[in-house]
Amino acid sequence: MSITLTRRAALLAGLAAPAFAPSLARAQRAGSVTTAIYPGAWEEAFRELVAPPLKRQHNIELEMQGLFAVDQIAKFAASRGAPPFDCFVLDPGPRITAIDRGMFEKFEVSKLTSRAALPGMLVDDWGVGCNAQVVGVAYNPKKLPKPTGYADLLKDPWVSRLGLTGFGTTFGTVSLIELAKVFGGSETNIEPALAELKKVLPKIAAVSSPAALPGLFQQGQCDVIYTNTQTVTTLKDRGVDIEFAVPSTGATAFFTTLHIAKGCENIENAYKYIDIVVGRAVQDALQKAPYNFVPVNTGVPLGAGLPMKSLAEMSSFNTHDWSKINPLRGGWIERFNREMAK
Amino acid sequence: MRSTWGLAAPLVAPLGLAYAAFFVAPLLMLFAVSFYADDRMTVLGLGQWQRFLGDAFHWKVIGNTVLLGLKTVAATLLLGLPLALAYRAASPGWQRVLLFVVVMPLLTSVVVRTFAWIVILGREGVVNQMVMGLGLAADPLRLLQTELGLVISLTQIEMPLLLLPLLSVMARIDPNLMDASASLGASPWRTLFRVILPLAAPGIAAGCLLVFASSTTAFISQSVIGGERLVYLPAMVWQQAMVVANWPFAATAAIALLVSVSAVIAVIATAGRIAGGRIHG
Repeated sequence: MSITLTRRAALLAGLAAPAFAPSLARAQRAGSVTTAIYPGAWEEAFRELVAPPLKRQHNIELEMQGLFAVDQIAKFAASRGAPPFDCFVLDPGPRITAIDRGMFEKFEVSKLTSRAALPGMLVDDWGVGCNAQVVGVAYNPKKLPKPTGYADLLKDPWVSRLGLTGFGTTFGTVSLIELAKVFGGSETNIEPALAELKKVLPKIAAVSSPAALPGLFQQGQCDVIYTNTQTVTTLKDRGVDIEFAVPSTGATAFFTTLHIAKGCENIENAYKYIDIVVGRAVQDALQKAPYNFVPVNTGVPLGAGLPMKSLAEMSSFNTHDWSKINPLRGGWIERFNREMAK
Repeated sequence: MRSTWGLAAPLVAPLGLAYAAFFVAPLLMLFAVSFYADDRMTVLGLGQWQRFLGDAFHWKVIGNTVLLGLKTVAATLLLGLPLALAYRAASPGWQRVLLFVVVMPLLTSVVVRTFAWIVILGREGVVNQMVMGLGLAADPLRLLQTELGLVISLTQIEMPLLLLPLLSVMARIDPNLMDASASLGASPWRTLFRVILPLAAPGIAAGCLLVFASSTTAFISQSVIGGERLVYLPAMVWQQAMVVANWPFAATAAIALLVSVSAVIAVIATAGRIAGGRIHG
């Protein structure tokens, strides 16, 4: 018996193919792991530095889905029990949301070969940190004296050269909380920061989207910003005059974390992938230019541009409880829009 | 004999189905999502609409977004129309050169063009260096993060969208009509306003429509050049969808953007039809 495939049948088959694609994709997963990853630098870094050793050491293909944190949570929620990827990568706010919604498998750090090199503050029942962020003030030393803290940002000569960003990012949110604390606010009360910013608003050089802020600094539109060490190192590598200053109230730290998706069918592969990411070799490579990650493995010597000599020192840095921040953040974003709008 | 529709249906079907699946269906979903009262999308209600429409700040944002589009349309028209007239009067060789110059910006990504404007308008940018070099100002002018700077950059970024339909209509105007107008005693200005512009009205309307739609939704330019002191609807949709994860409110803001932009587009299209109809009708 012969099968005659007409053009119409071929067309129908072509149209129907996407419907079967997920099951085909899952069938091919035996030697692979699928991770959600932030689009851009993270995706490039993991393709270049994580995928090759994972393939070499465990014969596991790394498949990546470029998704922002909100997309990861939305895509998982829409998948109804069949996770679209095996691993999440999340910042603290979305991490809390995902824990609340039961999106993670319990995490067993004992399955990681590099567990002994990971500081205890990085590991919990839900996942492990893979990148630290240290937030403080960055300034152009050729144009401004070193600011001592967040309060200086709202005084001359810094205020007229200040570039600021709102609650759209984790670093922006924690910086504005720290600014609020200086003026009597708290982790849940950012009103003092907004009130003080409002007083000096006409003087402020730039109120920018977070993505544009490094570019504005590079072009001299602003000469002092709050940001993380990663941005400072990256700009420095490009020859920009920029230095990191630890505020008198202390630097702020938070971690980007890896998690295994609830219902993941490749749990062993997922652990091997995570083990490679937090392992010494990959962490060392991620710390170097152009990615400039802050490593989480104690076996990796910390770069010169960081305000601490060891990861243990980070336990004294300012940290924040995102289970308190998350419910308020939407309102803060609106408040910032209103207060900053002309 | 099969009707024209019967013959055309199989040809139209692929695009029609694609539109239905990837445009109409998501649009209906967007409307549906806006009628959830909570951000987890569990309870139906009009809460998002009440919150959006009952707040004067949101109306101000709608107004600013529409106004930005209108200012950009006015600026592109002011600069584009003389160029289109020069194009009409130019020799075929020069017309090709002008067309290349008009199309050239489209060969560069809008992101690159937007970031280039930071270099041009910045405190230490080309414009400020020139102004201060000529002694016209003691301190650098603030052009970035102002509506003026945003309109200037959008005018350049959106200019091809005005010029391409306009040049195509201009090229089709019969030169004999201008000669006839002149021989009947009309001055060049009268010829411009009574003959050329009415004949070019469909192209002007099409160009204005594209520029307006594109500039009101130019999220990258608005964010990068305008900054967060200028709040427009696209940035608000992004914040609510991607940062706050309140999709129902983001859907409500997105529909507000769609409706307000569509309303102005309808007015521009009607004005173009009326102006064109005066000569074509």
